Amino acid sequence: MSGYLVTILITISIYAMLAHSLNIITGHAGQISLGHAAFFGIGAYAAGLLYTKAGLPFWLDVPLAAVMAGIVGAILGIPCLRVRDDFLAITTMGIGFVVEAVFLYIPFFGGAMGIGGINLPSWFGREMTKGEYFILILAVLALLLLLDYRLGRSWIGLAWASIREDEQAASAMSVHVVRFKVLAFVLGSALAGLAGGFYAHFLTFIMPQNFGFGQSILILCMVVFGGIGTRWGPLVGAALLGILPEISRPIMEYRTLLYGLLLVGMMRFQPSGLLGEDSLVVKSFIKGLSRLRQGS
Amino acid sequence: MIWQQLANGIAVGSVYALISLGLTMVYGILRILHVAHAGIYTLGAYVGLVAFRLVDHFWLSLVAGMVGAAVAGYLVERLLYMPILHMPRIAPLIVSIGLFTAMEEAFRIAAGPHTLVYNAKVGLGELTIGGFRLTETQVLILLVTFLILLFLWLFLTRTKMGLAMRACALDTETASTFGVNVNAVIAVNFIIGSFMAGAAGVLIGVYDNQVWPTMGSIPAYKALAIVVLGGLGNIPGTVLASLIVGLAETFFIGVLSVPFPRDAIAFIAMILVLMFRPYGLLGKA
Amino acid sequence: MGKHACWSLCLLAGVLMVFSNVGPTAAQETLKIGFFAPITGPAAADGMSAKNAVELAVQEVNAGGGIKGKKVELIVYDDRLKAEEAVAIANKLIEKDKVVGVVSGSYSGPTRVVAPILQKAGMPMVAGYAVHPDVTWNPNTKTPNDFIFRNGFLGEIEGAAAAEFAVKDLKAKRMAIIAMDNDFGRSISAGFADRAEKLGATILTKQMYKFPGEKDFRPYLTTIKEGNPDVIFAAGYYNEAASIVRQAKELGIKSQILGEEGFDSPKFLEIAGEAAEGVIIATNLDRDDPRPVVQNFLKNYRAAYGHDADMVGASSYDAFMILADAIKKAGTDPKAIQKALLETKDYDGLTGKISRFVQGEVVKPVQIQIVKEGKFRRKAIIDNPEIITPPKKS
Repeated sequence: MSGYLVTILITISIYAMLAHSLNIITGHAGQISLGHAAFFGIGAYAAGLLYTKAGLPFWLDVPLAAVMAGIVGAILGIPCLRVRDDFLAITTMGIGFVVEAVFLYIPFFGGAMGIGGINLPSWFGREMTKGEYFILILAVLALLLLLDYRLGRSWIGLAWASIREDEQAASAMSVHVVRFKVLAFVLGSALAGLAGGFYAHFLTFIMPQNFGFGQSILILCMVVFGGIGTRWGPLVGAALLGILPEISRPIMEYRTLLYGLLLVGMMRFQPSGLLGEDSLVVKSFIKGLSRLRQGS
Repeated sequence: MIWQQLANGIAVGSVYALISLGLTMVYGILRILHVAHAGIYTLGAYVGLVAFRLVDHFWLSLVAGMVGAAVAGYLVERLLYMPILHMPRIAPLIVSIGLFTAMEEAFRIAAGPHTLVYNAKVGLGELTIGGFRLTETQVLILLVTFLILLFLWLFLTRTKMGLAMRACALDTETASTFGVNVNAVIAVNFIIGSFMAGAAGVLIGVYDNQVWPTMGSIPAYKALAIVVLGGLGNIPGTVLASLIVGLAETFFIGVLSVPFPRDAIAFIAMILVLMFRPYGLLGKA
Repeated sequence: MGKHACWSLCLLAGVLMVFSNVGPTAAQETLKIGFFAPITGPAAADGMSAKNAVELAVQEVNAGGGIKGKKVELIVYDDRLKAEEAVAIANKLIEKDKVVGVVSGSYSGPTRVVAPILQKAGMPMVAGYAVHPDVTWNPNTKTPNDFIFRNGFLGEIEGAAAAEFAVKDLKAKRMAIIAMDNDFGRSISAGFADRAEKLGATILTKQMYKFPGEKDFRPYLTTIKEGNPDVIFAAGYYNEAASIVRQAKELGIKSQILGEEGFDSPKFLEIAGEAAEGVIIATNLDRDDPRPVVQNFLKNYRAAYGHDADMVGASSYDAFMILADAIKKAGTDPKAIQKALLETKDYDGLTGKISRFVQGEVVKPVQIQIVKEGKFRRKAIIDNPEIITPPKKS
């Protein structure tokens, strides 16, 4: 498999994991987070530092990175989630900026130069190839989707759904709203951290600029585009928006513009995303199928 | 030196106030975080610059920038926000972010990625009191901001429309039962807010002598932090918060040489204040 | 018999046509050279400048008959100043486009990502102006990336040269430093401070500002003014440079302002206006250099694009020419190209005469230019080997 193609696939799958993690916070628990890239960064830096400074192997530093991101998510989430919707959006944005600033300014994190030399994992005595790395990420992604499915059907999933639909009603039904919001936040952050760990080992070095507000918006776009709260939406969003830089190289100049217009258009006309209810794509797909069935 | 830094801080804070007021006013009535407001700010700067290049008169270009921004603000409100007001809160927010991204790119494509020069002769002269020196552009900023704030205060307290706006900020539904034309209020609200943002764009264009496509990026986020800090929807709170942030930034980076990014200060201040006053400095529940 | 002949004739005609196309097609084979720069995104201005300059270089080379009779085809990529894009670009250049060499017209971020990938693949690259040490040096294996060469100066060297000039020529004793807080800003201010203190001067204040995006330097300048330094060493790209210089004038600062290669741009002169007069910078482009390579470049760039060239463009142009020169000498085998580059001696480049490369870094004099009547003019040249020779790492 050509190295170039694998690179694209790995990038998309990492973004898929990342979009999925935001989906838990935004989609399942209905909380707007505009600073999600911060946890992506925390995971990446944790993995990178554990690998380069503490000499831990990939198989340890990435899970630890996820745990650390989750812990930070808990610490930040608890005060944050006591505030209202809009405050949360801005506060998460603020968290994103502060975390990026920490990476940029505290020399321990390598400053603007970032951290380099984070190699691909080794197994069976040799370094993994990119293709094998891709398979690994895909496997983890599949696992996550499975977990998502089970979780969705469990009482946690039901609690989340009730909070998303109507927070006050849920709390009136004695659903401990704050606890579940924090849970979603922690899970989403931990997963983002996991993606960050994979990302660090893939790029082999990381810089604070990779984890700023723009990145947070990109992740949000993937979730929105695919469909907030749907299971496959974030993946579709990640795949499509991840492919975009590649096929649109010919229209390099206008890429970001189209991107912004896409967001406007989507929310204006198809707010539940490509895979949400009401989606034109899904509807026409179903219509097409039923027409096929009638024809035969 | 302290007095000079004070002047630096107040000048910057004044411009922040002009941008943030529009944002807080929109939030006050529509409960939307109008991120694209920063795009209107940038538009004001570009329109002002184009006007200046055409007529070579600073004050006319300032008016042009303000009017251009006001028109744009009105269009955004009518065509984009009104139709989606019924949707969950995340929708207008994403539309706003998408619009802002698109606007920045449109500016880049139309005017080029380079910074353009706004070399306007303002004609006001400097002000030196003892060792304290207000540069010409600082005098300009303070003058224009003062006039605009005066106008705003008079409008809100002395006119019928102003009264209607304050009523809507409290409770739109009740206001409409009293016969207030809510749609008109929303439109005027946007127009005034955008008017001020356009002024801010021109002022910064002249203060820094630079206009560039992404000049709205930082004010976009910073203004949000400022309005939360001051109290969402609270006008005096926003002015206060703007000045605090302007002064804090100036002192932290200039006097204390803290190697912390200037723009994070607004957010840190916001987070600190929210811990003790969850609705901002002057906000109420 | 008639039909048979007709068909045979048609077949013959067809065969002849096919073969007649094969001939010229073979001669149309081009020499592919890869190029990447931040053409869109936050650094679009520099990206375009680099792209324009390198395209000019390609035109010139092709007008002169190409390299070894083959036309050069420049494969241009936009990295949008993002690391992931750069990774994809590096892989594409190696596997899809199969270029013989690469020129970087980009910043440290993307160049740094591309370097180890190209190094591993044994593909030579010449970087125009990216400054990060890790471009030519692998920090993990502690070995040089010996397929990677850099045309621009290391921050430490440029800073040291500026300090040398400040103390020896300007006789400055008290200095203030204000620099952007990124790898270049830190390394150049460190280089400046070290050399200045070694020569006996005092550094009064050292301030770092957020980069990119800082526009208002009045808080910093007000503090600097307090100390009344002889020289203010300011580091920044043209936007920051112009703002610093203008606002310093507004605030009534009289100290001499000393800048670096980031100031080297017609945009700096345009935005700073009158305030730029008298500013001195350390850079690599000497406008008063009588050599035809310099004067022709300045003239041709202006004719082609309507505005003056800058350091970014000149450095990228030179990087391309260095690579082209090596290919001309050694052919298209990457190892041979690398060898030719390693053996570079006294190369007459646009941005200075390169004595040689040390672990991929240039040894060439630093140009000190001054703004006189709105244009950059030669002020001095620093060629003290102690200062301009990059330290050998191990």
